Amino acid sequence: MHTPGPAAAGLRPAPHPDPGAAEPSMWRLLRMHAPMFAAVVLLQVVGAVAGLAPLLAVAELGRTLLPPGPADPQHVRTVVIAGAAGLLVRLVFTGASSGLGHVLDARVQLALRRELAARLGRAPIGWFSRRRTGELAKVVGEDVSAVHPVIAHAPGELVAAFVVPLVSLVYLLTVDRPLTLITLIPVALALALVPLMMLPARVREQEEFDAAMGRIADSVVEFVQGIAVVKAYGGAGRAHRAFLSAVDDFVRVFLRWVRGMSVVAAGMQLALSPPFVLLVVLAGGAARIASGGLAPADLLPFVLLGLGLTAPVAALGHGFDDLQAAGRALGRIRAVLAVRPLPRPARPVTPRGHRVELRGVRFAYDPGGSGPGSAAGPAPGGPGRETEHGPDHGAGREVLRGVDLVLEPGTVTALVGPSGSGKSTLVRLLPRFFDPTHGSVLLGGVDLRDVDERELHRLVSFVFQDVRLLRASVADNIALAVPHADAAAVTRAARLAGIHERVMRLPRGYDTVLGEEAVLSHGEAQRIAIARALLADTPVLVLDEATSFADPLTERAVREALATLRADRTILVIAHRLETIADADTVALLDDGVIVEHGAPAELLARGGAFAEFWRHRRPHAPVGAAAAGTDSRMIRGDEPR
Amino acid sequence: MIRLLLRVLGPGYAPAMRRTVALMGAAAAAEGLSYALLVPTLRALLGGAPGDAWPWLIGFGAAVAGYGVLRYAADLRGMRVGTTMLRGMYRGLGAHLVRLPIGWYGKDRVGELSVLAGRGLLQAMGVAAHLLAPLVSAVVTPLTIVAVMLVFDWRMGLAALAAAPVVAVVQAWAGRAAAAADAGRHEHDTEAAARVIEFLQAQPVLRAGGRTHERFALLDDALHGVFRAARRSLLGALPGVVGLTLTVQAAFTALLGLGAYLAVGGDLGAAETLAFLVLAARCADPLLSLGELAGRLRGARRRLADLDEVLRTEPLPEPAEPVAPAGHGLELESVTLRRAGRTVLDGVSLSVPEGRRIAVVGPSGAGKSTLLGLIARFHDVDAGAVRVGGVDVRAIGAEELMARIAIVFQDVYLFDGTIEENVRLGRPGASDAEVRAAAAAARLDEVVERLPGGWAARVGEGGALLSGGERQRVAIARALLKDARIVLLDEVSSALDPANEAAVHEGIERLVAGRTVVTVAHRLRTVRNADHIVFLDGGRIVEEGGHEELLRRGGRYAEFWSLSAVPAAR
Repeated sequence: MHTPGPAAAGLRPAPHPDPGAAEPSMWRLLRMHAPMFAAVVLLQVVGAVAGLAPLLAVAELGRTLLPPGPADPQHVRTVVIAGAAGLLVRLVFTGASSGLGHVLDARVQLALRRELAARLGRAPIGWFSRRRTGELAKVVGEDVSAVHPVIAHAPGELVAAFVVPLVSLVYLLTVDRPLTLITLIPVALALALVPLMMLPARVREQEEFDAAMGRIADSVVEFVQGIAVVKAYGGAGRAHRAFLSAVDDFVRVFLRWVRGMSVVAAGMQLALSPPFVLLVVLAGGAARIASGGLAPADLLPFVLLGLGLTAPVAALGHGFDDLQAAGRALGRIRAVLAVRPLPRPARPVTPRGHRVELRGVRFAYDPGGSGPGSAAGPAPGGPGRETEHGPDHGAGREVLRGVDLVLEPGTVTALVGPSGSGKSTLVRLLPRFFDPTHGSVLLGGVDLRDVDERELHRLVSFVFQDVRLLRASVADNIALAVPHADAAAVTRAARLAGIHERVMRLPRGYDTVLGEEAVLSHGEAQRIAIARALLADTPVLVLDEATSFADPLTERAVREALATLRADRTILVIAHRLETIADADTVALLDDGVIVEHGAPAELLARGGAFAEFWRHRRPHAPVGAAAAGTDSRMIRGDEPR
Repeated sequence: MIRLLLRVLGPGYAPAMRRTVALMGAAAAAEGLSYALLVPTLRALLGGAPGDAWPWLIGFGAAVAGYGVLRYAADLRGMRVGTTMLRGMYRGLGAHLVRLPIGWYGKDRVGELSVLAGRGLLQAMGVAAHLLAPLVSAVVTPLTIVAVMLVFDWRMGLAALAAAPVVAVVQAWAGRAAAAADAGRHEHDTEAAARVIEFLQAQPVLRAGGRTHERFALLDDALHGVFRAARRSLLGALPGVVGLTLTVQAAFTALLGLGAYLAVGGDLGAAETLAFLVLAARCADPLLSLGELAGRLRGARRRLADLDEVLRTEPLPEPAEPVAPAGHGLELESVTLRRAGRTVLDGVSLSVPEGRRIAVVGPSGAGKSTLLGLIARFHDVDAGAVRVGGVDVRAIGAEELMARIAIVFQDVYLFDGTIEENVRLGRPGASDAEVRAAAAAARLDEVVERLPGGWAARVGEGGALLSGGERQRVAIARALLKDARIVLLDEVSSALDPANEAAVHEGIERLVAGRTVVTVAHRLRTVRNADHIVFLDGGRIVEEGGHEELLRRGGRYAEFWSLSAVPAAR
């Protein structure tokens, strides 16, 4: 998944010329900004080194003032001005570097996010079904933000930690070599303590510490999410025991960690602290001066610059946590950028007609789930978790095991079967959310893989249960597939979908921004989706019938849409309701990934096979008053008086 | 920051906190004072009498040792107090969360709170613990050094002291500017984050709309908004950062110039002047780090402020002298409930005699689940009253009320533990036989048999390892085990597969037998079995009565069922 296949080459749309390579796109993007980043670093180096000027000015002042006899006021003035100038240069250059760094940071973040959005907009829908929205959103949001310290702060920190000490060290070596070595004693002491922090016991304590921290976070999440249960069962003091014990556990582990680390850490801190460094420098200096090896004035550079030599060790002590976090974040970003879109046809073929054929279709969900969120197991939708874009099945298992099915234009095919039989997967092959692993789906005699994507969207529309409304106006939501539709067409579709009156009751009618000015119920959202499909007016329609009784208006809308659209369209509907099934021209019974029966509903019932069995199984759940006979013809015809 | 911390924690922590800050201050002052010995030391060394320096150096060494001990004590104490505070904070939060009404926990709120109370709080406390000592020493050490300078030479000391208020003012101004900039950014970040989620969730729809060929404008605009906000925030914050640096550097330059002037004029010894300038350099470094420290503290502060807001949310008042309800009939009297400026329930009156079943039906968003929650006092009504056994729920203690009610929510949440633990939650003191009986009645036993590990099978976080129907059965078993006289049932609206559905129904029938029951119903069977049906729409009861009666009336209810019932019903 990380290396682009040849099929992906040169297939991206014009706005993003991306010759093939998916993987290097992040680096290419970062490289584009490299010159500016170099400028940030360069400005920082100049500024930081200029910052040494005032300290050197003090040292130079010493050389001028200390020797007996009157000092040259002119020289003193020059030195003071040089020091002040150094400070000014530092201020201007580091300020410019910081400003530029932040601008660059904002630009890189924007570029990364837009690129991520473009990539995600082309990733196969099937890829999404195995990932949690929250984790992908985190990649686009937080993970991109994690580059902030790298671009905006790292140049300053790294220059301060390494370039300035290096320059200082070189300078001090030219002044007095022995005293330079003495000045490095605190650094050596601190480094000598490092192995003590890496003892197995310390490492184990650190790991325990991390684990306890994870536990506390997990248990608080569980506690909060389960609060309704906690309260409903009156177990206020009892049910958050796990939470409290995680807290106590954390405190215990933390204090043990403190005990183990504190002496070493304190030793390190003391060794690197300014007073201690000064003590070492002054003691060494006193010895050097007493032995006559050092001019008293030459002690000053050590007193002033020597402190800076500890910076690299102190920086290492902090471990560059931010940079490490940024590295991990960039890894996740790269994984998303490396997702390959479904291959596009080199020479698109236009379908002739809109007969749909499935030939020997087999399908298994991608077993390798690399990238973020791949850990999501076969988790059915439940409270606090998201079921996204359809079914979330176990990896690798074949969901469809050789499906042959023909959908004739002008007919409604009802797809029925127990839950988990593969219905949702099957219908999602038509808008090409996935490609079959074996076999093919043909539209008008052409394999979907050879149909241009835009063309496909002009031919196939769908209404699935997991309706998503955009935070945009009602009109925009309905006209999603036909952005240039006029108001009259939008209203007509809304009327047909039975949502027009509801829309007119909204504060600003069709201009009402959903999610901000008004919230629609699930059923109403479904009707908007139906309106969408009606407006799109595609010859092929795929529909997942609502399973709940929650909103009868939606049921009616679905039925009326089916009736309106029927004419010469190819319609495939996942049917849950006996009436829809009875009304269909053809029924296909899917069980465990294969079509076990196929034919007209009455015919199948008469045959007394698997479908008749299925029908009978459904019957007990039909409302009271239903006659026992499974072959009741009135029922099959669905001739309810209305 | 500290004040906010103490408000979050309660005043009990103030003395410990004060002692810690005092100890940190003492360590920082010791550092500053130890530098006083630099003056005579440097005077001796630079004056060409290195021999004279040794006693001072030994003194300096002793001072450094003293500083080291104080620093260690302060750090250790800081860690201990910080840990105690963290524990106190979590305990306080836990206790508070349990007291907040369930109605407070919306879906968004739970998400935000999880982030805040999980890693957010730990990070905030970590930052506070790590930055407090540097912050204290960044303020105290320079001030001590200024005092030392004043003692040795009033002119240099005064010059240094004059800079102090300027630094303080600039620092405060810079902090405010940065905070304002952060707030502006935060708004755009939130907007963009929402758009990203929308973009991801709407992928199938956007594809179908052929919207993959152009950029999704809503998201792209939001991303540009973030970019512009970042630039604006930079323009807002940069002057403050540069200003602070400029102030500190100007002060240092002034001291450099003044020292040079005094030394050239012979008013101050060369060695002393140089020693003072070394001291001045020691002042400048910590002051320059102030800006960064303050920025990182702001982040931690925001978390604490969020936490403070949660902690200051008032739980529902508990009665001083709880009244025990007489019986288990339910009554709602002209109940009105408003939420976020919207009237959710509007003058609803309803009465359920003990042992009767009532079904609540209506379109989604009608307020059905809210009505159910009122009986268990998830919210308090804005007008009217909810009575259980003739007593206003506000006059019954929360424990007492909950003990009488078993609730099965539409969204079943299970704790990450075994099936048995989750069932036992219903009544922790129940015997094994009782647990088994409840499980059998809820048809949970067959699930247990099927699962590897049986009763000890783990259900995963939130019950993720079970299917929706299986989770429902656990919830029903839990409610059965509780054996409460009042049952509140929010029926699952989406279809379960037939096997699960049959099992769940059977469980529910056993659960409700002989009890006072209020069901939010999505299924005809449940409605038919009810003694009384209430049709709710727009927060009002628009129709009520028996099933047949309502059907005959041919109103909303009749329409509702004629639309959703299969034709075989006729």
